[in-house]
Amino acid sequence: MKKILLFLIPLGAFIAVTGFLLKGLYSEPRYEVSVSVSKPIPDFELPDVMDPKKLYTKETFLGQKTLLNVWGVWCVTCAVELPYLTELRKQGVRIVGLYYQLNNDPDFDQKPLPQLQWEIRQMLGKHGNPYQFNMFDKDRSYGMDLGVTGAPETFLIDELGVVKVHHVGDLNTRVWKEKFSMYFGES
Amino acid sequence: MIAELGHFSLVLALLVSMLMSIYPLWGAHTGNQMYMAMARPLSVGLFLFTAIAFACLTYSFVTDDFTLSYVAHNSNSLLPIQYKYTAVWGGHEGSFLLWVLMFSGWTFAVSLFSKAIPQEMVARVLGILGVVAVGFYLFIIIASNPFESLLPFYPVDGRDLNPLLQDIGMIIHPPMLYMGYVGFSVAFAFALAALLSGQLDSVWARWARPWTQAAWAFLSIGIALGSWWAYYELGWGGWWFWDPVENASFMPWLIGTALLHSLAVTEKRKLFKSWTILLAIAAFSLSLLGTFLVRSGILISVHSFASDPERGLFILALLVTVIGGSLLLYGLRASQLKSVGRYGLVSREVMLFGNNVLLSAATLVVLLGTLLPLVHKELGMGSISIGEPFFNQMFTVLIVPFAFLMGVGPLSRWKKQNLVDLRNQLVMAFIIAILGALAINYSYDSLATITLLGSFLSIWIAVSTIFEILQRTGNQFSLSSLGKLSRSHWGMVLGHLGFAISIMGIAVTSHFTTEMEVRMSEGETVALSGYNFTFKGIVSIEGQNYSGHAGIVDIHKDGDFVSSLRAEKRFYSVQRSTMTEAGIDSNLSRDLFVALGEQLKDGSWALRLYVKPLVTWIWIGAFIMAFGAFLSMADKRYRLSKFATRKKAVLDNNAVPQGVPQQ
Amino acid sequence: MKLSLPIVVLLISGWIIAVAHATETTYQLDDPAKQKIFLELKHELRCPMCQNQTIGDSNAMIALDLKRKTFELVESGKSKQEVIDYMKARYGEFVHYKPPVTPITIWLWLLPAGFIVVAFLVMFFARRNAKSDLNEAGESPLKSEDASPQDLEEADKLLDKYK
Repeated sequence: MKKILLFLIPLGAFIAVTGFLLKGLYSEPRYEVSVSVSKPIPDFELPDVMDPKKLYTKETFLGQKTLLNVWGVWCVTCAVELPYLTELRKQGVRIVGLYYQLNNDPDFDQKPLPQLQWEIRQMLGKHGNPYQFNMFDKDRSYGMDLGVTGAPETFLIDELGVVKVHHVGDLNTRVWKEKFSMYFGES
Repeated sequence: MIAELGHFSLVLALLVSMLMSIYPLWGAHTGNQMYMAMARPLSVGLFLFTAIAFACLTYSFVTDDFTLSYVAHNSNSLLPIQYKYTAVWGGHEGSFLLWVLMFSGWTFAVSLFSKAIPQEMVARVLGILGVVAVGFYLFIIIASNPFESLLPFYPVDGRDLNPLLQDIGMIIHPPMLYMGYVGFSVAFAFALAALLSGQLDSVWARWARPWTQAAWAFLSIGIALGSWWAYYELGWGGWWFWDPVENASFMPWLIGTALLHSLAVTEKRKLFKSWTILLAIAAFSLSLLGTFLVRSGILISVHSFASDPERGLFILALLVTVIGGSLLLYGLRASQLKSVGRYGLVSREVMLFGNNVLLSAATLVVLLGTLLPLVHKELGMGSISIGEPFFNQMFTVLIVPFAFLMGVGPLSRWKKQNLVDLRNQLVMAFIIAILGALAINYSYDSLATITLLGSFLSIWIAVSTIFEILQRTGNQFSLSSLGKLSRSHWGMVLGHLGFAISIMGIAVTSHFTTEMEVRMSEGETVALSGYNFTFKGIVSIEGQNYSGHAGIVDIHKDGDFVSSLRAEKRFYSVQRSTMTEAGIDSNLSRDLFVALGEQLKDGSWALRLYVKPLVTWIWIGAFIMAFGAFLSMADKRYRLSKFATRKKAVLDNNAVPQGVPQQ
Repeated sequence: MKLSLPIVVLLISGWIIAVAHATETTYQLDDPAKQKIFLELKHELRCPMCQNQTIGDSNAMIALDLKRKTFELVESGKSKQEVIDYMKARYGEFVHYKPPVTPITIWLWLLPAGFIVVAFLVMFFARRNAKSDLNEAGESPLKSEDASPQDLEEADKLLDKYK
């Protein structure tokens, strides 16, 4: 009997592995972001994309809950997300944009600012403007400090400047209900 | 019409497999000769119908039949004809059809080359293959059907084959790989047959050995080709990434190697019986696990097919049935297999045991490294990555005792070996290895510990192998005495030498490769490791289904012209994707590797340049190993038919033969 | 959009800055020690949004950003571990291909090592048990008691010959 138990060990190990494989089939294999959550947002000083003389710092996030949305005119999914975000704004959610400049070779691909501003105005005019203002992350360094890997991404920052949620992907009704709504009482 | 024929043929194959899974095994259980005899003709049928289905699918590709969903997704009218043939296995459904084709082929081969094996055993082996086949054929027809039709609406043209796959490597690599994966099913079937019959002797091991050698050889070739293909196709000069899909192929190979050695012990000394059975089950189980990992989308990999949880679930069910069932049978029956025999603490048995333990530990390392990120995440502990740093660390540790045993093992006797007797050879081998390693390192003007270690181990193995040949021939290195050594012995020699060559290649290229990432304008020259790379400019290129640019780079050494390389960047119009084709100048001592990057606003181009010493040794060593396995097979089968025919005569006629050799 | 002077100046200065930058960033460091660290990091840091690629191998925007950042950090004198910590602080353990040593990941090392130890223990005990089954001459009880020393020698010779 004891011998049979020994020989059944491989079967036991296999069953354990199968359990994880089964679970894994139904979960998202992509990497799950969690580093910045529960930490205060890193310090920064970024200009307003529409008015570069205006500068923002961490102060702007203290005192009220804010959604920080990472986006760009190059990002197709962001265009799909804009109407929903604009709805949220109408319902009183404060949304600030982090404009995430795209170019593969930053040494050579700088779009002139006036052209960029024009394109932003076009896009927001077409799909809706949810943003109080847009901060310009020209070399994507602030994005790196936040752990951003692309767009769209949305952070929820509370009154004390602490990151509560970091969502990768577009924000929609389902995501709002699952990840964000609990911080806003109802809605 | 042809497509429907192919589909129908596939269904027929499923029906045949169902018959094959029932009658022969029942016949073996009850002693019914007629049922047992059905196994062979059913195998023929299985192969025939599967081959017809495969031929029909190929025909659909070659004639651009875009009414089939699979053809529409993986081909295009502009695709060069040779790639239309290989596109048959370019996607999930077709590659699985290739898998079952191989499976039916191996089954057919077993039915052909088993004349010397008693009918009951053959019936069991083919019956088990039939059981496994039912699972595969059900899967392909229900969840992964290449003959699925898009009618009444179908596209005018197809989505084209992924440009990464439009390459000669793609033509050979998957078939070789699948021959290996699927080939292990034969050893698996032999193992289960032994468990079912309750008998396992050295003759069983002799039957199982050539099938295992063949599968292992094909898998070695498949893995080597995959590595080589990634090297020249992906443009980064890398040849192994410990990607989950690569690991999925490496694990059966490691266990297969252990199995080869364990079978030798079981055959020669009737030992390690239950362990050998477990390995045979494990090898095929790992092949199946690999299939699951690659096709289910459960792991992130550049190699994986498009994922589908439904398919994943079906394959998982297949896994549970086949692996779970076989391990259950093992758990219940293995204790009946008695290994009786004595061996000293220092003996060939122990060395081979060590070989097996280390190979199994290595497999465990790869398995854990591949699956732990998944487990970690499922436990809610977040995402981690396990890659090259971990695997290299573990393998570097494991290879030291492994290579040491590889040198001492063949020199050792069965049952008992006095190490003092080997002292001279071992010490000499040690000294030669150290001197050689130092010499090699100094020739590259560098001293890296890892390379010292790797080259030392490589030379240690090579020298020990040569000493062993001398030992066998009584210290004569003449052609006649060498000719007296058996093919299976030469197989071992080539296997070990091939391994040593690969290790040398890996050790040297891993640390003595030099690379440079530069931006060059026309006419500029850059120096790297004694070679001068001159960028001659860009030409436009045009292929059947792509267009792009080629950068011409001339290479000189000490003023002499070495080579002119074309590094291409191709844009495939249908899939709208860009591919690099590196320019490579290859010889036994080094590869010169140039890859083209992006063009920059000022007109210059980004280029990556590499000098990779001894990198080709990695694949050459693998091919030598595979050749060694094939050579061994040639020996065994020769002896198999002669000896086994006589044994069969004994069993059939109850006559006592004279002079049966004491093997 | 009218091409007014300020805009022209902006464009030209942007272009000049870009070109000047070009000759600097060829991802080659003069200091060989730093270059070595950079190369190692390129192959050890993972692109967070790719299908299993290092930042050195991928052309994705985030990979190029991380590669550039790594280059800058190494150039400024940061050690390999400092760069890794910097990246982990922003992207988590996921971004390094070497797993951290935690109560869960420790099994990566413990299981293989344990397996080797257990395997050899099993072999020792199996041999000891087998020994107790054997008679004084050290032979298996199944073998005929009539085997003479000459026979044993013959057998050994044959075993050697047919190794």
